[in-house]
Amino acid sequence: MKVTREKTENSQAFLRIEMEPAEVEESLEQSYQRLAKKANIPGFRKGKAPRVVLERYIGKDSLLEDALNNLLPQAYEKALKEQEIEAIANPSIEIAQTDPVVFKATVPLKPTIELGDYQQIRLAPEPVELTEDEVNTVIEQLRRQHATWEPVERPADFDDLVALDIESHIEEKPFINQQGVQYQILHDQPLPVPGFAEQLSGMKGGEEKEFKLKLPEDYSRAELAGKEARFKVRVSEIKQQRLPELDDEFASLVNPDLKTLDSLRERISANLRLMAEEKAKREFEERVVEAVVDSSQVEFPPVLVEMEIARLFDQQARQLQTSNIGLEEYLGRVGKTEEELREELRPLAIKRVTSSLVLGRTAEEEKIEVSDAEINAELENMVQSVTGNKDEVKKRLDSPQARDSIGQLLATRKTIQRLVEIAGGSTNARKK
Amino acid sequence: MHLYEVLRRPLITEKNTAIQAPQGKYAFKVGAEANKEQIKQAVEKAFNVGVIQVNVMTVPGKERRLRGRWVMSPSWKKAIVTLKPGDKIELFGGV
Repeated sequence: MKVTREKTENSQAFLRIEMEPAEVEESLEQSYQRLAKKANIPGFRKGKAPRVVLERYIGKDSLLEDALNNLLPQAYEKALKEQEIEAIANPSIEIAQTDPVVFKATVPLKPTIELGDYQQIRLAPEPVELTEDEVNTVIEQLRRQHATWEPVERPADFDDLVALDIESHIEEKPFINQQGVQYQILHDQPLPVPGFAEQLSGMKGGEEKEFKLKLPEDYSRAELAGKEARFKVRVSEIKQQRLPELDDEFASLVNPDLKTLDSLRERISANLRLMAEEKAKREFEERVVEAVVDSSQVEFPPVLVEMEIARLFDQQARQLQTSNIGLEEYLGRVGKTEEELREELRPLAIKRVTSSLVLGRTAEEEKIEVSDAEINAELENMVQSVTGNKDEVKKRLDSPQARDSIGQLLATRKTIQRLVEIAGGSTNARKK
Repeated sequence: MHLYEVLRRPLITEKNTAIQAPQGKYAFKVGAEANKEQIKQAVEKAFNVGVIQVNVMTVPGKERRLRGRWVMSPSWKKAIVTLKPGDKIELFGGV
Protein backbone atom coordinates (compact mmCIF):
# COMPACT_ATOMS: atom_id res chain seq x y z
CA MET A 1 0.00 0.00 0.00
CA LYS A 2 1.37 3.37 -0.98
CA VAL A 3 -0.04 6.49 0.57
CA THR A 4 0.75 9.94 -0.72
CA ARG A 5 -0.61 13.11 0.71
CA GLU A 6 -1.36 15.31 -2.21
CA LYS A 7 -2.27 18.50 -0.49
CA THR A 8 -3.94 19.96 2.54
CA GLU A 9 -6.35 22.81 2.37
CA ASN A 10 -9.44 24.00 4.17
CA SER A 11 -8.54 21.65 6.98
CA GLN A 12 -8.91 18.75 4.62
CA ALA A 13 -6.21 16.33 3.68
CA PHE A 14 -6.31 14.82 0.21
CA LEU A 15 -4.82 11.35 0.24
CA ARG A 16 -3.97 9.17 -2.70
CA ILE A 17 -3.84 5.53 -1.71
CA GLU A 18 -2.57 2.90 -4.06
CA MET A 19 -3.22 -0.73 -3.17
CA GLU A 20 -0.83 -3.57 -3.93
CA PRO A 21 -2.41 -6.22 -6.22
CA ALA A 22 -1.76 -8.89 -3.58
CA GLU A 23 -3.79 -7.00 -1.01
CA VAL A 24 -6.63 -6.61 -3.47
CA GLU A 25 -6.41 -10.29 -4.37
CA GLU A 26 -6.69 -11.30 -0.75
CA SER A 27 -9.74 -9.17 -0.32
CA LEU A 28 -11.25 -10.55 -3.52
CA GLU A 29 -10.80 -14.05 -2.20
CA GLN A 30 -12.58 -13.14 1.02
CA SER A 31 -15.39 -11.51 -0.89
CA TYR A 32 -15.71 -14.62 -3.05
CA GLN A 33 -15.97 -16.82 0.01
CA ARG A 34 -18.65 -14.67 1.46
CA LEU A 35 -20.66 -14.05 -1.69
CA ALA A 36 -20.48 -17.69 -2.82
CA LYS A 37 -22.31 -18.69 0.34
CA LYS A 38 -25.23 -16.54 -0.66
CA ALA A 39 -25.25 -16.82 -4.44
CA ASN A 40 -27.91 -19.07 -5.86
CA ILE A 41 -26.40 -20.39 -9.07
CA PRO A 42 -28.22 -23.13 -11.01
CA GLY A 43 -26.24 -26.35 -11.01
CA PHE A 44 -24.50 -25.56 -7.75
CA ARG A 45 -25.35 -25.83 -4.13
CA LYS A 46 -24.86 -22.63 -2.15
CA GLY A 47 -21.25 -21.93 -1.42
CA LYS A 48 -20.04 -24.66 -3.79
CA ALA A 49 -19.60 -22.65 -6.97
CA PRO A 50 -15.98 -22.18 -7.99
CA ARG A 51 -14.69 -18.65 -8.25
CA VAL A 52 -14.65 -18.51 -12.07
CA VAL A 53 -18.27 -19.55 -12.17
CA LEU A 54 -19.24 -17.02 -9.53
CA GLU A 55 -17.40 -14.28 -11.40
CA ARG A 56 -19.31 -15.19 -14.54
CA TYR A 57 -22.56 -15.23 -12.70
CA ILE A 58 -22.47 -12.03 -10.65
CA GLY A 59 -19.94 -10.22 -12.77
CA LYS A 60 -16.33 -9.49 -12.07
CA ASP A 61 -17.05 -5.86 -11.29
CA SER A 62 -19.52 -6.51 -8.55
CA LEU A 63 -17.10 -8.91 -6.92
CA LEU A 64 -14.44 -6.23 -7.07
CA GLU A 65 -16.83 -3.67 -5.72
CA ASP A 66 -17.66 -5.85 -2.77
CA ALA A 67 -14.00 -6.50 -2.14
CA LEU A 68 -13.20 -2.80 -2.25
CA ASN A 69 -16.03 -1.92 0.05
CA ASN A 70 -14.41 -4.12 2.61
CA LEU A 71 -10.90 -3.21 1.79
CA LEU A 72 -11.19 0.56 1.69
CA PRO A 73 -12.12 1.28 5.29
CA GLN A 74 -9.24 -0.87 6.49
CA ALA A 75 -6.83 0.68 4.06
CA TYR A 76 -8.08 4.11 5.01
CA GLU A 77 -7.50 3.45 8.69
CA LYS A 78 -4.01 2.24 7.95
CA ALA A 79 -3.28 5.21 5.75
CA LEU A 80 -4.36 7.57 8.49
CA LYS A 81 -2.03 5.88 10.92
CA GLU A 82 0.79 5.96 8.46
CA GLN A 83 0.32 9.66 7.78
CA GLU A 84 -0.41 10.40 11.40
CA ILE A 85 -3.62 12.15 10.54
CA GLU A 86 -6.46 12.52 12.93
CA ALA A 87 -9.81 12.61 11.18
CA ILE A 88 -12.83 14.12 12.85
CA ALA A 89 -15.51 12.77 10.58
CA ASN A 90 -16.07 10.26 7.85
CA PRO A 91 -14.01 10.89 4.76
CA SER A 92 -15.35 11.03 1.27
CA ILE A 93 -13.68 8.30 -0.74
CA GLU A 94 -13.51 8.16 -4.47
CA ILE A 95 -12.16 5.28 -6.47
CA ALA A 96 -9.90 6.71 -9.13
CA GLN A 97 -8.93 3.52 -10.96
CA THR A 98 -9.18 -0.19 -10.40
CA ASP A 99 -6.07 -1.64 -11.98
CA PRO A 100 -4.09 -1.20 -9.83
CA VAL A 101 -6.61 -0.01 -7.32
CA VAL A 102 -6.10 3.64 -6.52
CA PHE A 103 -8.47 5.66 -4.45
CA LYS A 104 -8.58 9.19 -3.21
CA ALA A 105 -9.77 10.09 0.22
CA THR A 106 -10.70 13.55 1.39
CA VAL A 107 -10.19 13.55 5.10
CA PRO A 108 -11.69 16.24 7.27
CA LEU A 109 -9.11 17.33 9.76
CA LYS A 110 -9.41 18.92 13.11
CA PRO A 111 -10.21 22.57 12.66
CA THR A 112 -7.40 24.96 13.31
CA ILE A 113 -8.39 27.76 15.59
CA GLU A 114 -6.13 30.71 16.13
CA LEU A 115 -7.62 32.67 18.92
CA GLY A 116 -7.19 36.37 18.59
CA ASP A 117 -6.06 38.46 21.49
CA TYR A 118 -9.40 38.23 23.17
CA GLN A 119 -7.92 39.41 26.45
CA GLN A 120 -7.59 42.83 24.91
CA ILE A 121 -11.13 43.12 23.75
CA ARG A 122 -12.85 45.87 25.61
CA LEU A 123 -16.46 46.59 25.04
CA ALA A 124 -18.94 48.46 27.10
CA PRO A 125 -22.51 47.37 27.44
CA GLU A 126 -25.09 49.77 26.08
CA PRO A 127 -26.40 51.80 28.98
CA VAL A 128 -29.98 51.10 29.75
CA GLU A 129 -32.14 54.16 29.53
CA LEU A 130 -35.73 54.36 30.42
CA THR A 131 -37.73 57.41 29.50
CA GLU A 132 -40.87 58.66 31.11
CA ASP A 133 -42.56 58.24 27.73
CA GLU A 134 -42.13 54.49 27.72
CA VAL A 135 -43.75 54.19 31.11
CA ASN A 136 -46.55 56.44 29.96
CA THR A 137 -47.14 54.31 26.88
CA VAL A 138 -47.54 51.23 29.01
CA ILE A 139 -49.93 53.01 31.33
CA GLU A 140 -51.91 54.26 28.37
CA GLN A 141 -52.18 50.69 27.09
CA LEU A 142 -53.35 49.54 30.49
CA ARG A 143 -55.98 52.25 30.51
CA ARG A 144 -57.30 51.11 27.17
CA GLN A 145 -57.37 47.53 28.37
CA HIS A 146 -59.39 48.49 31.38
CA ALA A 147 -61.62 50.95 29.58
CA THR A 148 -65.37 50.72 30.05
CA TRP A 149 -68.04 51.48 27.49
CA GLU A 150 -70.96 53.72 28.28
CA PRO A 151 -73.97 54.45 26.09
CA VAL A 152 -74.19 58.05 24.91
CA GLU A 153 -76.88 60.11 23.24
CA ARG A 154 -74.95 61.82 20.47
CA PRO A 155 -73.89 61.14 16.88
CA ALA A 156 -71.33 58.38 16.55
CA ASP A 157 -67.75 59.46 16.31
CA PHE A 158 -64.46 57.72 15.72
CA ASP A 159 -63.30 55.42 18.55
CA ASP A 160 -66.90 54.77 19.47
CA LEU A 161 -68.40 51.34 19.68
CA VAL A 162 -71.70 50.96 17.87
CA ALA A 163 -74.25 48.17 17.73
CA LEU A 164 -75.30 47.63 14.12
CA ASP A 165 -77.71 45.72 11.96
CA ILE A 166 -76.13 45.32 8.57
CA GLU A 167 -77.78 44.28 5.37
CA SER A 168 -75.77 44.39 2.20
CA HIS A 169 -75.88 43.12 -1.37
CA ILE A 170 -73.55 42.84 -4.25
CA GLU A 171 -75.36 42.64 -7.56
CA GLU A 172 -78.54 41.42 -5.84
CA LYS A 173 -76.68 38.69 -4.02
CA PRO A 174 -76.52 38.93 -0.22
CA PHE A 175 -73.09 39.96 0.99
CA ILE A 176 -73.05 40.61 4.75
CA ASN A 177 -76.24 40.27 6.73
CA GLN A 178 -75.88 40.46 10.48
CA GLN A 179 -77.93 41.70 13.38
CA GLY A 180 -76.61 43.43 16.47
CA VAL A 181 -72.93 43.51 15.55
CA GLN A 182 -70.53 45.34 17.82
CA TYR A 183 -68.31 47.53 15.69
CA GLN A 184 -65.65 49.96 16.75
CA ILE A 185 -65.28 52.88 14.41
CA LEU A 186 -61.60 53.36 13.81
CA HIS A 187 -59.67 55.44 11.32
CA ASP A 188 -58.47 53.53 8.24
CA GLN A 189 -60.19 50.36 9.29
CA PRO A 190 -60.13 48.09 6.23
CA LEU A 191 -62.91 45.83 7.53
CA PRO A 192 -65.40 44.93 6.32
CA VAL A 193 -64.77 47.31 3.42
CA PRO A 194 -62.54 50.38 3.35
CA GLY A 195 -64.66 53.47 3.90
CA PHE A 196 -67.24 51.65 5.98
CA ALA A 197 -66.09 53.19 9.25
CA GLU A 198 -66.15 56.71 7.75
CA GLN A 199 -69.75 56.20 6.65
CA LEU A 200 -70.80 55.34 10.17
CA SER A 201 -69.36 58.39 11.86
CA GLY A 202 -71.95 61.05 12.45
CA MET A 203 -74.87 58.64 12.58
CA LYS A 204 -77.30 58.93 15.47
CA GLY A 205 -78.79 56.19 17.58
CA GLY A 206 -81.70 54.53 15.79
CA GLU A 207 -80.78 56.12 12.45
CA GLU A 208 -80.83 54.13 9.21
CA LYS A 209 -78.58 54.81 6.28
CA GLU A 210 -77.95 53.39 2.83
CA PHE A 211 -74.70 53.83 0.99
CA LYS A 212 -72.58 52.23 -1.69
CA LEU A 213 -68.94 51.21 -1.40
CA LYS A 214 -66.55 49.79 -3.92
CA LEU A 215 -64.66 46.69 -2.87
CA PRO A 216 -60.89 46.94 -3.31
CA GLU A 217 -59.23 45.26 -6.26
CA ASP A 218 -57.24 42.99 -3.98
CA TYR A 219 -60.20 41.83 -1.95
CA SER A 220 -59.63 38.44 -0.34
CA ARG A 221 -62.55 36.88 -2.19
CA ALA A 222 -61.33 37.27 -5.74
CA GLU A 223 -64.75 36.87 -7.37
CA LEU A 224 -66.03 39.96 -5.52
CA ALA A 225 -62.98 42.18 -5.95
CA GLY A 226 -63.63 45.57 -7.49
CA LYS A 227 -67.44 45.22 -7.33
CA GLU A 228 -69.82 47.66 -5.76
CA ALA A 229 -71.68 46.72 -2.62
CA ARG A 230 -74.91 48.34 -1.39
CA PHE A 231 -75.13 48.65 2.35
CA LYS A 232 -78.12 49.32 4.54
CA VAL A 233 -77.19 49.83 8.16
CA ARG A 234 -79.16 50.68 11.27
CA VAL A 235 -77.35 51.96 14.31
CA SER A 236 -79.12 50.84 17.44
CA GLU A 237 -76.72 51.94 20.12
CA ILE A 238 -73.68 54.14 20.42
CA LYS A 239 -71.18 53.65 23.19
CA GLN A 240 -68.34 55.83 24.17
CA GLN A 241 -65.05 54.61 25.46
CA ARG A 242 -64.37 55.81 28.96
CA LEU A 243 -60.79 55.43 30.05
CA PRO A 244 -60.29 54.92 33.77
CA GLU A 245 -58.92 57.92 35.64
CA LEU A 246 -55.28 57.81 36.48
CA ASP A 247 -55.61 57.41 40.21
CA ASP A 248 -54.96 54.92 42.95
CA GLU A 249 -58.17 53.13 42.13
CA PHE A 250 -56.86 52.45 38.62
CA ALA A 251 -53.70 51.02 40.11
CA SER A 252 -55.55 48.52 42.20
CA LEU A 253 -57.74 47.69 39.23
CA VAL A 254 -54.63 46.67 37.32
CA ASN A 255 -53.13 44.77 40.17
CA PRO A 256 -54.95 44.31 43.49
CA ASP A 257 -51.61 44.31 45.33
CA LEU A 258 -50.88 47.87 44.32
CA LYS A 259 -52.50 50.58 46.37
CA THR A 260 -51.29 53.76 44.78
CA LEU A 261 -50.67 55.04 41.28
CA ASP A 262 -47.06 55.75 42.17
CA SER A 263 -46.45 52.17 43.12
CA LEU A 264 -47.93 51.09 39.79
CA ARG A 265 -45.62 53.48 37.99
CA GLU A 266 -42.72 52.07 39.95
CA ARG A 267 -43.68 48.52 39.17
CA ILE A 268 -43.97 49.26 35.47
CA SER A 269 -40.69 51.05 35.23
CA ALA A 270 -38.97 48.30 37.20
CA ASN A 271 -40.34 45.70 34.80
CA LEU A 272 -39.39 47.73 31.78
CA ARG A 273 -35.94 48.27 33.16
CA LEU A 274 -35.53 44.56 33.81
CA MET A 275 -36.55 43.72 30.28
CA ALA A 276 -34.31 46.37 28.81
CA GLU A 277 -31.38 45.21 30.90
CA GLU A 278 -31.97 41.63 29.91
CA LYS A 279 -32.02 42.65 26.28
CA ALA A 280 -28.94 44.81 26.64
CA LYS A 281 -27.12 41.96 28.33
CA ARG A 282 -27.99 39.56 25.56
CA GLU A 283 -26.93 42.01 22.93
CA PHE A 284 -23.73 42.73 24.76
CA GLU A 285 -22.94 39.03 25.02
CA GLU A 286 -23.58 38.65 21.35
CA ARG A 287 -21.31 41.55 20.55
CA VAL A 288 -18.54 40.20 22.74
CA VAL A 289 -18.75 36.75 21.19
CA GLU A 290 -18.79 38.29 17.76
CA ALA A 291 -15.73 40.37 18.56
CA VAL A 292 -13.87 37.32 19.83
CA VAL A 293 -14.86 35.32 16.79
CA ASP A 294 -13.86 38.14 14.49
CA SER A 295 -10.45 38.40 16.06
CA SER A 296 -9.82 34.69 15.61
CA GLN A 297 -8.67 32.77 12.61
CA VAL A 298 -10.69 29.64 12.12
CA GLU A 299 -10.28 27.06 9.45
CA PHE A 300 -12.50 24.02 9.38
CA PRO A 301 -13.47 21.32 6.93
CA PRO A 302 -16.73 21.92 5.02
CA VAL A 303 -18.19 18.72 6.45
CA LEU A 304 -18.82 20.49 9.72
CA VAL A 305 -20.99 23.03 7.97
CA GLU A 306 -22.85 20.29 6.16
CA MET A 307 -23.46 18.54 9.45
CA GLU A 308 -24.69 21.73 11.06
CA ILE A 309 -26.99 22.41 8.13
CA ALA A 310 -28.42 18.93 8.45
CA ARG A 311 -28.99 19.54 12.14
CA LEU A 312 -30.68 22.87 11.64
CA PHE A 313 -32.78 21.40 8.91
CA ASP A 314 -33.90 18.52 11.09
CA GLN A 315 -34.69 20.92 13.85
CA GLN A 316 -36.86 22.99 11.56
CA ALA A 317 -38.59 19.92 10.21
CA ARG A 318 -39.36 18.75 13.72
CA GLN A 319 -40.69 22.15 14.65
CA LEU A 320 -42.96 22.09 11.66
CA GLN A 321 -44.10 18.65 12.64
CA THR A 322 -45.15 19.80 16.08
CA SER A 323 -47.06 22.70 14.59
CA ASN A 324 -48.91 20.18 12.46
CA ILE A 325 -47.52 21.36 9.18
CA GLY A 326 -45.59 18.77 7.27
CA LEU A 327 -42.27 19.72 5.79
CA GLU A 328 -43.64 19.21 2.31
CA GLU A 329 -46.53 21.51 2.96
CA TYR A 330 -44.30 24.19 4.41
CA LEU A 331 -41.99 24.04 1.43
CA GLY A 332 -44.97 24.31 -0.85
CA ARG A 333 -46.24 27.32 1.05
CA VAL A 334 -43.03 29.30 0.93
CA GLY A 335 -42.39 28.06 -2.59
CA LYS A 336 -38.97 26.62 -2.02
CA THR A 337 -37.33 23.31 -2.63
CA GLU A 338 -35.59 21.40 0.09
CA GLU A 339 -32.28 22.25 -1.52
CA GLU A 340 -32.96 25.98 -1.42
CA LEU A 341 -33.94 25.80 2.20
CA ARG A 342 -30.73 24.01 3.04
CA GLU A 343 -28.77 26.58 1.07
CA GLU A 344 -30.47 29.33 3.03
CA LEU A 345 -29.35 27.77 6.27
CA ARG A 346 -25.74 27.78 5.14
CA PRO A 347 -24.66 31.23 6.36
CA LEU A 348 -26.25 30.59 9.73
CA ALA A 349 -24.59 27.20 9.93
CA ILE A 350 -21.20 28.67 9.09
CA LYS A 351 -21.62 31.29 11.77
CA ARG A 352 -22.66 28.75 14.36
CA VAL A 353 -19.82 26.39 13.57
CA THR A 354 -17.26 29.16 13.76
CA SER A 355 -18.51 30.59 17.01
CA SER A 356 -18.88 27.21 18.65
CA LEU A 357 -15.32 26.31 17.65
CA VAL A 358 -13.98 29.58 18.94
CA LEU A 359 -15.92 29.31 22.16
CA GLY A 360 -14.79 25.74 22.67
CA ARG A 361 -11.21 26.80 22.21
CA THR A 362 -11.64 29.73 24.54
CA ALA A 363 -13.03 27.42 27.15
CA GLU A 364 -9.89 25.32 26.92
CA GLU A 365 -7.74 28.39 27.07
CA GLU A 366 -9.56 29.71 30.10
CA LYS A 367 -9.70 26.28 31.71
CA ILE A 368 -13.43 26.34 32.06
CA GLU A 369 -14.82 23.17 33.49
CA VAL A 370 -18.26 22.08 34.45
CA SER A 371 -18.62 19.95 37.53
CA ASP A 372 -21.13 17.16 38.02
CA ALA A 373 -22.82 19.19 40.71
CA GLU A 374 -23.44 22.02 38.28
CA ILE A 375 -24.92 19.65 35.77
CA ASN A 376 -27.16 18.21 38.45
CA ALA A 377 -28.31 21.65 39.44
CA GLU A 378 -29.11 22.59 35.85
CA LEU A 379 -30.89 19.32 35.35
CA GLU A 380 -33.02 19.94 38.40
CA ASN A 381 -33.72 23.41 37.10
CA MET A 382 -34.85 22.10 33.75
CA VAL A 383 -37.07 19.48 35.34
CA GLN A 384 -38.70 22.09 37.51
CA SER A 385 -39.52 24.31 34.58
CA VAL A 386 -41.30 21.52 32.77
CA THR A 387 -44.97 21.09 33.22
CA GLY A 388 -46.24 17.55 33.10
CA ASN A 389 -44.64 14.35 34.12
CA LYS A 390 -41.53 15.46 35.94
CA ASP A 391 -40.23 12.00 36.73
CA GLU A 392 -40.33 10.95 33.13
CA VAL A 393 -38.59 14.08 31.97
CA LYS A 394 -35.97 13.59 34.60
CA LYS A 395 -35.36 10.04 33.53
CA ARG A 396 -34.95 11.12 29.95
CA LEU A 397 -32.58 13.91 30.84
CA ASP A 398 -30.48 11.77 33.14
CA SER A 399 -28.89 9.75 30.34
CA PRO A 400 -25.16 10.15 29.74
CA GLN A 401 -25.73 11.84 26.38
CA ALA A 402 -28.19 14.33 27.78
CA ARG A 403 -25.87 15.08 30.67
CA ASP A 404 -23.11 15.58 28.18
CA SER A 405 -25.06 18.10 26.18
CA ILE A 406 -26.16 19.91 29.31
CA GLY A 407 -22.53 20.06 30.34
CA GLN A 408 -21.66 21.58 26.99
CA LEU A 409 -24.43 24.08 27.28
CA LEU A 410 -23.18 25.14 30.69
CA ALA A 411 -19.61 25.32 29.49
CA THR A 412 -20.64 27.60 26.65
CA ARG A 413 -22.61 29.75 29.03
CA LYS A 414 -19.69 30.01 31.40
CA THR A 415 -17.32 30.81 28.59
CA ILE A 416 -19.51 33.62 27.39
CA GLN A 417 -19.76 34.82 30.96
CA ARG A 418 -15.99 34.85 31.26
CA LEU A 419 -15.59 36.67 27.96
CA VAL A 420 -18.11 39.25 29.02
CA GLU A 421 -16.21 39.77 32.24
CA ILE A 422 -12.96 40.18 30.37
CA ALA A 423 -14.42 42.54 27.83
CA GLY A 424 -16.19 44.52 30.49
CA GLY A 425 -12.87 44.79 32.32
CA SER A 426 -14.35 43.57 35.56
CA THR A 427 -11.99 40.61 35.87
CA ASN A 428 -8.32 40.63 35.22
CA ALA A 429 -7.56 38.18 32.50
CA ARG A 430 -6.11 35.00 33.75
CA LYS A 431 -2.48 34.56 32.86
CA LYS A 432 -1.81 31.71 30.53
CA MET B 1 -26.24 -34.04 -39.33
CA HIS B 2 -24.20 -30.88 -39.39
CA LEU B 3 -21.42 -30.48 -36.87
CA TYR B 4 -22.90 -27.24 -35.59
CA GLU B 5 -26.00 -29.06 -34.47
CA VAL B 6 -24.09 -31.58 -32.41
CA LEU B 7 -22.95 -29.53 -29.40
CA ARG B 8 -25.87 -27.73 -27.78
CA ARG B 9 -24.24 -26.21 -24.73
CA PRO B 10 -21.70 -27.02 -22.06
CA LEU B 11 -23.05 -28.32 -18.77
CA ILE B 12 -21.68 -26.27 -15.94
CA THR B 13 -22.68 -27.80 -12.67
CA GLU B 14 -21.01 -28.55 -9.42
CA LYS B 15 -20.25 -32.12 -10.38
CA ASN B 16 -19.04 -31.29 -13.86
CA THR B 17 -16.74 -28.46 -12.83
CA ALA B 18 -15.24 -30.77 -10.23
CA ILE B 19 -14.04 -33.25 -12.87
CA GLN B 20 -12.92 -30.71 -15.46
CA ALA B 21 -9.44 -29.80 -14.37
CA PRO B 22 -8.33 -32.99 -12.54
CA GLN B 23 -9.58 -35.49 -15.10
CA GLY B 24 -9.82 -33.44 -18.26
CA LYS B 25 -13.49 -34.38 -18.69
CA TYR B 26 -16.02 -31.93 -19.99
CA ALA B 27 -19.76 -32.39 -20.15
CA PHE B 28 -22.03 -31.10 -22.90
CA LYS B 29 -25.62 -31.31 -23.81
CA VAL B 30 -25.64 -32.66 -27.34
CA GLY B 31 -28.17 -33.19 -30.06
CA ALA B 32 -30.24 -36.32 -29.53
CA GLU B 33 -29.17 -37.85 -32.85
CA ALA B 34 -25.46 -37.16 -32.46
CA ASN B 35 -23.12 -40.10 -32.13
CA LYS B 36 -19.78 -40.37 -30.36
CA GLU B 37 -17.77 -39.84 -33.53
CA GLN B 38 -19.61 -36.65 -34.39
CA ILE B 39 -19.24 -35.34 -30.86
CA LYS B 40 -15.52 -36.01 -30.98
CA GLN B 41 -15.12 -34.13 -34.22
CA ALA B 42 -17.26 -31.26 -33.06
CA VAL B 43 -15.32 -30.75 -29.83
CA GLU B 44 -11.97 -31.03 -31.56
CA LYS B 45 -13.00 -28.48 -34.13
CA ALA B 46 -14.80 -26.05 -31.84
CA PHE B 47 -12.21 -25.86 -29.06
CA ASN B 48 -9.09 -26.91 -30.94
CA VAL B 49 -8.24 -29.73 -28.57
CA GLY B 50 -7.65 -33.47 -28.83
CA VAL B 51 -10.35 -35.90 -27.70
CA ILE B 52 -9.46 -39.41 -26.51
CA GLN B 53 -12.81 -40.69 -25.31
CA VAL B 54 -16.49 -39.82 -25.53
CA ASN B 55 -19.13 -41.26 -23.22
CA VAL B 56 -22.75 -40.56 -23.99
CA MET B 57 -25.92 -41.18 -22.09
CA THR B 58 -29.53 -40.31 -22.54
CA VAL B 59 -30.97 -38.36 -19.65
CA PRO B 60 -34.59 -39.36 -19.36
CA GLY B 61 -37.17 -36.63 -19.19
CA LYS B 62 -39.02 -36.07 -15.97
CA GLU B 63 -42.69 -35.87 -15.17
CA ARG B 64 -43.73 -32.29 -14.71
CA ARG B 65 -47.07 -30.74 -14.04
CA LEU B 66 -48.31 -28.51 -16.78
CA ARG B 67 -51.72 -26.85 -16.42
CA GLY B 68 -52.87 -29.52 -14.04
CA ARG B 69 -51.75 -32.40 -16.27
CA TRP B 70 -48.68 -34.53 -15.87
CA VAL B 71 -46.43 -34.27 -18.90
CA MET B 72 -42.98 -35.56 -19.66
CA SER B 73 -40.19 -33.10 -20.17
CA PRO B 74 -38.14 -34.14 -23.15
CA SER B 75 -35.27 -36.57 -22.80
CA TRP B 76 -31.87 -35.33 -23.91
CA LYS B 77 -28.42 -36.61 -24.57
CA LYS B 78 -25.42 -35.85 -22.42
CA ALA B 79 -21.85 -36.42 -23.52
CA ILE B 80 -18.77 -36.53 -21.32
CA VAL B 81 -15.68 -35.85 -23.39
CA THR B 82 -12.23 -36.79 -22.13
CA LEU B 83 -9.49 -34.61 -23.56
CA LYS B 84 -5.89 -35.45 -24.20
CA PRO B 85 -3.85 -34.89 -21.04
CA GLY B 86 -2.82 -31.22 -20.92
CA ASP B 87 -5.60 -29.92 -23.16
CA LYS B 88 -8.12 -27.50 -21.70
CA ILE B 89 -11.37 -25.87 -22.65
CA GLU B 90 -12.23 -22.44 -21.30
CA LEU B 91 -15.91 -22.89 -20.66
CA PHE B 92 -17.19 -19.40 -20.28
CA GLY B 93 -20.11 -19.83 -22.60
CA GLY B 94 -23.63 -19.00 -21.46
CA VAL B 95 -24.24 -20.43 -18.04
